[in-house]
Amino acid sequence: MSDIAPARRESSTGPVVTVRRAVLWVPDWPVVAAMGEAGLGADAPAAVLHGRGMVAVSAAARAAGVRRGMRRRLAQRACPELAILPHDEGRDSRAFEAVAAAAEEVVSGVEVSRPGLLMIPADGAARFHGSEEALAEALVTAVAELAGCESGVGMADGLLAAVLAARSSALVPGGGSADFLADAPVEVLPLAAMERRQREQVEDLVSVLTRLGLTTLADFTALPAGDVLARFGPVGMWAHRVGRGEDVRPPVLRRSEEDIAVTYAFEEPAQRVEQLALVADHVSRQLDAALLEAGVRCGRVRIAATTERGDALERVWRTDVGSRAGAFAKHMTDRVRWQLEGWLSGTSSGPERAPLTALQVTAEDVVPLGSEQAYLWGGVSGADSRAQRTLERVQGLLGADAVLAVREQGGRSPRDRVLALPWGQEATPSRRIEHPWPGRIPDPAPATVLPVPEPLEVLDAGGAPVRIDRRLAMSAPPTWVRLQVDPRDERAAAARRHPSSGRMGLASDGPSWGLPQPVEAWAGPWPIVERWWSEDSSRRACLQISLRRPDGAPGHALLASFTDGSWVLEAIYD
Amino acid sequence: MPIETTPDASQEERLSRARAALKGVETRIGAAREAWDRPALPLTADLTELMPEGLRRGQVVAVTGATSLMLALAAEASRAGSWTAAIGMPTVGVVAAARRGIELSRLALIPHPGAQAADAVGACVDGMDVVLLGERLALSDANRRRIGARARERGGVVIAAGEWPAAHVRLDVVSSAWSGLGAGDGRLRERELTVAVGGRRAGATRRVRVLLDGDVGARWTRPGARIDVDEEVA
Repeated sequence: MSDIAPARRESSTGPVVTVRRAVLWVPDWPVVAAMGEAGLGADAPAAVLHGRGMVAVSAAARAAGVRRGMRRRLAQRACPELAILPHDEGRDSRAFEAVAAAAEEVVSGVEVSRPGLLMIPADGAARFHGSEEALAEALVTAVAELAGCESGVGMADGLLAAVLAARSSALVPGGGSADFLADAPVEVLPLAAMERRQREQVEDLVSVLTRLGLTTLADFTALPAGDVLARFGPVGMWAHRVGRGEDVRPPVLRRSEEDIAVTYAFEEPAQRVEQLALVADHVSRQLDAALLEAGVRCGRVRIAATTERGDALERVWRTDVGSRAGAFAKHMTDRVRWQLEGWLSGTSSGPERAPLTALQVTAEDVVPLGSEQAYLWGGVSGADSRAQRTLERVQGLLGADAVLAVREQGGRSPRDRVLALPWGQEATPSRRIEHPWPGRIPDPAPATVLPVPEPLEVLDAGGAPVRIDRRLAMSAPPTWVRLQVDPRDERAAAARRHPSSGRMGLASDGPSWGLPQPVEAWAGPWPIVERWWSEDSSRRACLQISLRRPDGAPGHALLASFTDGSWVLEAIYD
Repeated sequence: MPIETTPDASQEERLSRARAALKGVETRIGAAREAWDRPALPLTADLTELMPEGLRRGQVVAVTGATSLMLALAAEASRAGSWTAAIGMPTVGVVAAARRGIELSRLALIPHPGAQAADAVGACVDGMDVVLLGERLALSDANRRRIGARARERGGVVIAAGEWPAAHVRLDVVSSAWSGLGAGDGRLRERELTVAVGGRRAGATRRVRVLLDGDVGARWTRPGARIDVDEEVA
């Protein structure tokens, strides 16, 4: 194998196409971002906890002996005053925008490889600034001044060499990447992997390589490429190329786009709907004109208003009307007007109603005109846009809140598993559907779910109410069920008036019950204890009951729940 | 005038082959039954016994006694790309709809149309393919006739809960039996509906047994036919 290796290497390497890159690295970015959000000083000991171990540790904490991967208890023993901060990938990338913007003051385009790591093609920028040293200095200064964090800049040919150079603030001369990498241990390979899954695969590879006795990159890259592919698959091939100082792909540059937003400040706080109709129209036209001028269209619009009391009201609406010329302004006018009317009238949930002082409409998901995301096959069909128009018309007829779009979300009872929003409005479900939700009512789902549970009587054979105690023991098996009937039903009213009902002389505002129906079969009780730590805690026991019809055949099924000593009807399996 | 280049025998053969092919196509798609100008919306395989010709466009289906039957009727069409609106059904179980196959991104709920029910339903029949109507909508008989005419014109399907004068198809759930529950054990598993199928065109009322929420686990214990039809005069 060793005698044929050089020949194959000759054929597989050839002229290596690499890009000269500068890499800007902010050490321990997750903890820097978390400390910035928590308002801690840069010299405070802090660490970010994810799962069972620390994922990032600040410099002061590291000096006190806290290491990455430590358990919470060990870390607190090493450094009792350690601030443990939660892990949040969204926060990391959000906060890194400031660093990217600071770097863009110096160079024209950057690639955010991952939060904490920026990649910049160095050739042109270094020529502009005079030398690579000058470029590195300008970058570090800009990030320190504008974003307020320390960073290191390194330059080299190829991805891995540049990332390693940034960690030691080295400027590797052109063509020297292979030598620079040769002595590095194979453990540096995961640094070049930008996604978490890829990094896990590369870490697995590194552990295999170490066990095989390949400790340096020179050892690994000396292997023939074909054998690496055969033994380690695509990940091995990737590591082989990266370890030789080659590039896998050129940097993908982003261009910062200004948000397109229109702001309107009311001269005097607006209280009446009539004032708003004109403003809504005006603002929508302005936004339409601004979008047209920039040659873009937007996928979503964020409507934000400020009230006199200082509350901020914000809602996001989806717009699918880019393909319809001229419809955008009118469409947005309606959205803005509905939104503001809802707030002013106090019907929509949110802060207390108050006069509005300012209104801002921001276009989001901005894409150039003509490059909208269509369906995989074909564009938006005629039926789709017709249905959208129909629903908008009904919204205009009945109000925005009368037409609902529904989504499934996580939850235990059938009522909790639905997220209903006004058609066209966007929000993220608060309960994730992927979570396990132990104690969920099993499928099939009921076809009728009462929005407000109705009282119900579950009786034992003697006619006494069935009770469930704290240990889920039932006082007796359920034998009869009495449902509520419509009070306008004449037969029920007659039965109620009859002396045998036992209600003579009682106040008439109680629920009117139907006849008891025999229970055919039942299952349960299933406990559902939710949110015991909060105000809206609930503790219930659910029962599936199927009823017997008068002719003796099995009939409909119900979902009943027992809470606080009384039974309610949750849903009907009809 | 076309030039005759082939002998007569071969022409005969070609003609008979063409006729056979046309006949095959007709029996496959059921074009010979009646000339409805638009293709029917698809229907779940379990429900083809109820409506063998599929969910024809422009018709009104009145369903009494089971919300899940309404959802099941709309499911396959929604999966195939139709838009669905549910008007005046504040209690409809959305999870059940999704499990039956209704695509929630193409479903709009109008739970309380109030006094403007006729306008809202009219707009929806214009723009949506399948419209589900609840029982307690403020619709007069004249409104209902107008909605039916509009659906026929636009090619939508109206599936209404409760009575509907002159509905094309009436599906009355005579009985619905759940199985799977015991005395404190088990869970709801399978349901058998007995549906009386009638309507404007149908002569006699048929009774059809339909199994909804078929459960593979429950099936092991109960051998025999899944769906059987017996004709009887109502």
